[in-house]
Amino acid sequence: MFNSIHKFTLLAGLTAGLLSCGSDPNDTGTEFAPNMYNSVGYEPMTQLQGDTNKINPYGMNMRLPVEGTVSRKKYTGADSLKKAFLAQELLAKTIPSDSISYSEALLKNPLAATPENIEAGKLQYERFCQHCHGEAGKGDGLVAKAYKGVPVYSSDALKDVNDGHIYHVITHGKGRMWPHGSQISSENRWKIVLYVHELQKQ
Amino acid sequence: MFCKKLTLVKFLFSFLFLLASTTAMLAQDAAEGETLFKNNCAACHNTSDETLVGPGLKGVTGRRPIEWIVKWVHNPQAVIASGDKYANDLYNKFNKAAMTPYPNFSEAQIKGIVAYIDAANAAPAAPAAGAAPAAGAAAPTAQSSGGMMEVLLVGLLIIMVIVLIALLSIVNSLSKLAKAEQEEGKSFFDTISENAKSLAANSAVKTGIIVLVFLLGGKATIDAAYGVGIHQGYAPEQPIKFSHKLHAGDNQINCNYCHTGVYEGKGANVPSANICMNCHNAIKRESPEIQKIYKALEKDEPIQWVRVHNLPDLAYFNHSQHTNVGGLECKNCHGEIEKMEVVEQRSSLTMGWCIDCHRQTDVNAKGNAYYDKLVEVHNKDSKTPLKVQNIGGLECSKCHY
Repeated sequence: MFNSIHKFTLLAGLTAGLLSCGSDPNDTGTEFAPNMYNSVGYEPMTQLQGDTNKINPYGMNMRLPVEGTVSRKKYTGADSLKKAFLAQELLAKTIPSDSISYSEALLKNPLAATPENIEAGKLQYERFCQHCHGEAGKGDGLVAKAYKGVPVYSSDALKDVNDGHIYHVITHGKGRMWPHGSQISSENRWKIVLYVHELQKQ
Repeated sequence: MFCKKLTLVKFLFSFLFLLASTTAMLAQDAAEGETLFKNNCAACHNTSDETLVGPGLKGVTGRRPIEWIVKWVHNPQAVIASGDKYANDLYNKFNKAAMTPYPNFSEAQIKGIVAYIDAANAAPAAPAAGAAPAAGAAAPTAQSSGGMMEVLLVGLLIIMVIVLIALLSIVNSLSKLAKAEQEEGKSFFDTISENAKSLAANSAVKTGIIVLVFLLGGKATIDAAYGVGIHQGYAPEQPIKFSHKLHAGDNQINCNYCHTGVYEGKGANVPSANICMNCHNAIKRESPEIQKIYKALEKDEPIQWVRVHNLPDLAYFNHSQHTNVGGLECKNCHGEIEKMEVVEQRSSLTMGWCIDCHRQTDVNAKGNAYYDKLVEVHNKDSKTPLKVQNIGGLECSKCHY
């Protein structure tokens, strides 16, 4: 009794079954050779089920840099600008976060205020500052509406603050602002300092 | 008598004039005060009684005499140091956060600011600027339109087959009627099943069905085989319901703010919790999802985000080469992240997909001395611009080693 109705239901069931193998957003799907996909060495942002790092806490592959160390990779070589960057960073590391007056007195921007450097500073400002401090440094960024207490760069209190002050505030935070030293390289912080000086004039 | 009247009128006039001029002066002061307040004070103080960073300044003239306010604005630390009780209480109430001193403000300017604060409170209360409630965390279920299309097509096919069978049986019974061979006691459905049986016996229909099954099955098999190892559409649930739409879309926070390595390193980096805290020390502190960040920080535990884009280890990829050197934008590969509640892998990340782009894309050689000689050599014997494939973008060992 294998008539056409049976055949038909079989066919319908088969197609429906095949189509219902839809996408589960939590599933990566079939993998052919996972042992070739997964790194044998520990990758910084990868954590595999059942094969986690046994040395580091929580099976993480990354570790914090040793306290008090400075990454030297960007500062090797004879370039005088690199040397100036290194000198400023080493000096800045010795200034505690609550001593902004030391930064004001001691730190000096190794970068000259050339149009290229200011343009580079603008780029970094747009990436790291603009959403709070606003396009023109008026404290009117989109996030500032929710965060509150973002100052105006051109205000009487801030329009004259110097290189070291701005660098210190980016690195360690001030008032409502939290430290951003972990996110922005010291070279890029100096570029931002240049651009903030431009905004102070506006 | 007349003289006296004149004096009185004079007096009245001068009084009126004085009154008018003082109000005008006050208004002018308040106008200047408004600019000063907005530029210097509004970051931390409200004109209402709502606390922002520092206290709300509504009715400040009632709380403190103007001389005290002037002294305070000129140098808050000196007032605190002088042992003033009110100042010290205030200082302690706000966690010893010192106000910025404004020694350059004249007394008239400070009075102007105070006049503006009073004027702002005298004015009919403006409707509170509605902080729009954050969009619900309801993540839209990602339904691929392709799947819908297939279901629709199969449904239509099934309906067509049923209609065909019904029509055939009607034709059959009609022809029987025409022959006047009436069979009694036979229902419509019996006729249909009878006809279906005869249809199944038909060899052409049999072959048709078999071919159809083969075709459909073949297509499904090929599709599934091509999909092996491709995670396109993968949108795993994350431990914290973080919305890229809210952060990168609505608030336009740059990708680089959190993904700190994207212009500098191989990986883009998943932000550590201290970067979340740069904003969430103040914003949406009560949200249960934000509380998860606080817990992770308290326990010094990592947040176990689920990685979405998993390039196989056998292929090398470096973000900085593409973003910084090549000048690609994030969305070129990741799609419209700023519109995604839950991040999904949009591109297939197959080798064909990489190669396609390497064949089509011009090298971003502008202002990059590294490419100068390569461009020069290339332009000698070619009229097309230097593409990625011309500098080894298709070499196996560029990515596989």
